[in-house]
Amino acid sequence: MDTGAALTTPPEQQRPGRPSRKGGGRPAPAAGAGRRKREFTVRRGLVIAAFMAPAVVFVAVFTYYPMVAGGQMAFRHWNLADLTDRSFVGLDNFTAIFHDPLWGTVLSNTAVWVVASIVPQLVIGFALALWLRRRFRFRGLYQALIFFPWAISGFLIGILFRWMFNSEFGVVNDLLQKAGLIDEPIAWLADPKFAMTAIIIANIWYGVTFFTIMLLAALQSIPDEIYEAAALDGSGKVRTLFQITIPYIRTTLTLTVLLRVIWIFNFPDLIYGVTGGGPNNETHIVTTWMINITQQGDYGKASALGLLMVAGLFVFSLFYLMATREKKEAKS
Amino acid sequence: MLTRRRAVAALGLALTVTVSGCSAMGGGSDGTVRLQMVESLTNPTRTALLKDLLADFEKQNPKITVNLVSPPTAQADQKLQQMLPSGSGVDVLEVRDQTVGPWSNNGWLHDMGKDLKSWPGWNDLTDKARKASTQNDGKTYFVPYGFYGASLFYRKDLVAGAGFQAPPASWDDLLKQSSAIQDKSKRRYGYAFRGGQGGFNNVTMLIGAYVADRIDTSNAYKLKDGSSIFSAPEASDALDTYLKIFKQGAPPSSVAWSYPEMVEGFSNGSTAFLLQDPEVIATLKESKALGADQWTTAPLLKGPGGKAVQPLGTAGWGIAQGSKHKAEAVKLIEFLSQGAASTTFAQKNSLVPILKKAAEDPFYRTGAWASYVTMANSPDTYVDVTQPRDAPWFTEWSQKADADVQKLLLGKVTAKALLADWDAYWTAKWQSEKG
Repeated sequence: MDTGAALTTPPEQQRPGRPSRKGGGRPAPAAGAGRRKREFTVRRGLVIAAFMAPAVVFVAVFTYYPMVAGGQMAFRHWNLADLTDRSFVGLDNFTAIFHDPLWGTVLSNTAVWVVASIVPQLVIGFALALWLRRRFRFRGLYQALIFFPWAISGFLIGILFRWMFNSEFGVVNDLLQKAGLIDEPIAWLADPKFAMTAIIIANIWYGVTFFTIMLLAALQSIPDEIYEAAALDGSGKVRTLFQITIPYIRTTLTLTVLLRVIWIFNFPDLIYGVTGGGPNNETHIVTTWMINITQQGDYGKASALGLLMVAGLFVFSLFYLMATREKKEAKS
Repeated sequence: MLTRRRAVAALGLALTVTVSGCSAMGGGSDGTVRLQMVESLTNPTRTALLKDLLADFEKQNPKITVNLVSPPTAQADQKLQQMLPSGSGVDVLEVRDQTVGPWSNNGWLHDMGKDLKSWPGWNDLTDKARKASTQNDGKTYFVPYGFYGASLFYRKDLVAGAGFQAPPASWDDLLKQSSAIQDKSKRRYGYAFRGGQGGFNNVTMLIGAYVADRIDTSNAYKLKDGSSIFSAPEASDALDTYLKIFKQGAPPSSVAWSYPEMVEGFSNGSTAFLLQDPEVIATLKESKALGADQWTTAPLLKGPGGKAVQPLGTAGWGIAQGSKHKAEAVKLIEFLSQGAASTTFAQKNSLVPILKKAAEDPFYRTGAWASYVTMANSPDTYVDVTQPRDAPWFTEWSQKADADVQKLLLGKVTAKALLADWDAYWTAKWQSEKG
């Protein structure tokens, strides 16, 4: 790994190996060019284990145990209505999900929710980052204002948008009518298609900020000299964008998109606040549906859905990272 | 370097802290008992009131202290579901008609039947309260603190302005009056229709009114002959009326309206009628758009047979099976269920009271509360019924039924198909119960 190489201290700067206590002052045997290998004893192993133990125990108890305990529910009949029967049911919970009439709707909704949210978030977020990179008066204030939505809870934003999109007394219809764009109020949250549009608009508003924060940080790492050199060579704005800016921040771009896909996929708060998955269950995504199933007390089915989700996201991340790496290797 | 002596001292200190921390949960060395009480329908005003009442209790019982835990309502049930199986951390808890079934089924709740036998306050409870505290298996898992029952909130000025002498008394009247009052161009609507979360409750109440003569009062989804109310021919007429009310006398977007939109719609003056629980009385008194003389309540809407059904929701206080201080917990529940504590809690939370004496209180005899007295005085017209909210599958049903109602409103299912589906659902559930 290149980072490892960078961190390796040159041999001439290395401090001489401290004599091990057990060795009675005898220097440790040298390994390689000037590198001394420390003697590994049982005692040293125990010390290392003791130092690592708190972290290992913490992660095991609070991360892995709940994951495994939750995961095994997926293969059991685990319903809060009757916990006396927690028998092993194999893949029944998974079959129940695949045969549920909502499964198809939920899957396509999830895809629409992720894609239709992330593309505008990326484009607008990138544009804002480019704009904020330039120096102008009150830039700090603008930055703070743009980053503000990220500090608000998703559920709260959901509730705010629920009122804004209310057909009779919401501000959205009121503005559209005053601007002369519509004659009759749109029943935003009562019509499944409009409801999906409404939650995506809310999500775009919310998520633009994250792209702006991440991409602005990356943009600020591009040295001005490169732009100056490009300008001297006669590169136009569009060419500079595609041949300097984007290639330079590609790693951040790739990771931000990956993170956002996973987060948007896992973001039921906003939908729950705006539509609750309705009307007629037509705005449910996988995670809001999972909450519904949990509320019904069917932890087995909800856990199975959770496992499917983790598997899906894992496969996506794998393909995404492979695809972006290939590009990089092909280019180099 | 940590010496052995220091390590032993540190370990000792850690143990002391842990043990003293644990003992603080259960009680002090002076014999005081600390009860952990968890509420679930949390709201800041109610929590403050509850704390005042608990302070009074502690004054009367210096050996008992109560620690009130108030998780946000939306997460409270899930929190309790996580706490109860562990068998510790909860002594007294809020139990609702909807949670008592699954929780008692899982052995999480203590049966207070024996403890309350010697309690003089039992005889001061209304029949309704005593009935609600006793489950089908004869056990007492909670004592209600009050009842949530709907009445019809209406705009006196709009009803009179449209030429009607009196508020709607039946669902047909509601259709007539809301269609007459509705004027979309003025953003004025008839009925604050509930199409969103909880909308199925109004549908079942409406169907109940249409079959009130034949309804099984102990299970409001059943007829006396054992079949479901959804199989009755009147149910179809009821849904026809309901759809007409939606199309002719309600805001079009009310497909998605649930509690907040309905209450906002009425309190900001957009709608003329609202079917809601009495806690809205307090909200409306705060309304800036409506004057006190513009609105009041009327009794529930009747069906063609001249009767209405009144499904009362309820909640109360129960004891966790895992509690180590059941005697003290019983004491607290008795305190909250009698005398001034009970009356104050019911009045301040706009609840139908559990004490017989409360009906004589001027608070309940005047203004918007009067319709509740009217209903209580005519039990043959306003028939008290119990919905099967304690069924373990009630949450599953409520989510399914809510989506089905929206399907009906959006024209994606016919009334006939919906009723057939609901009939099949409940018939199958009742059969599985027997099996």
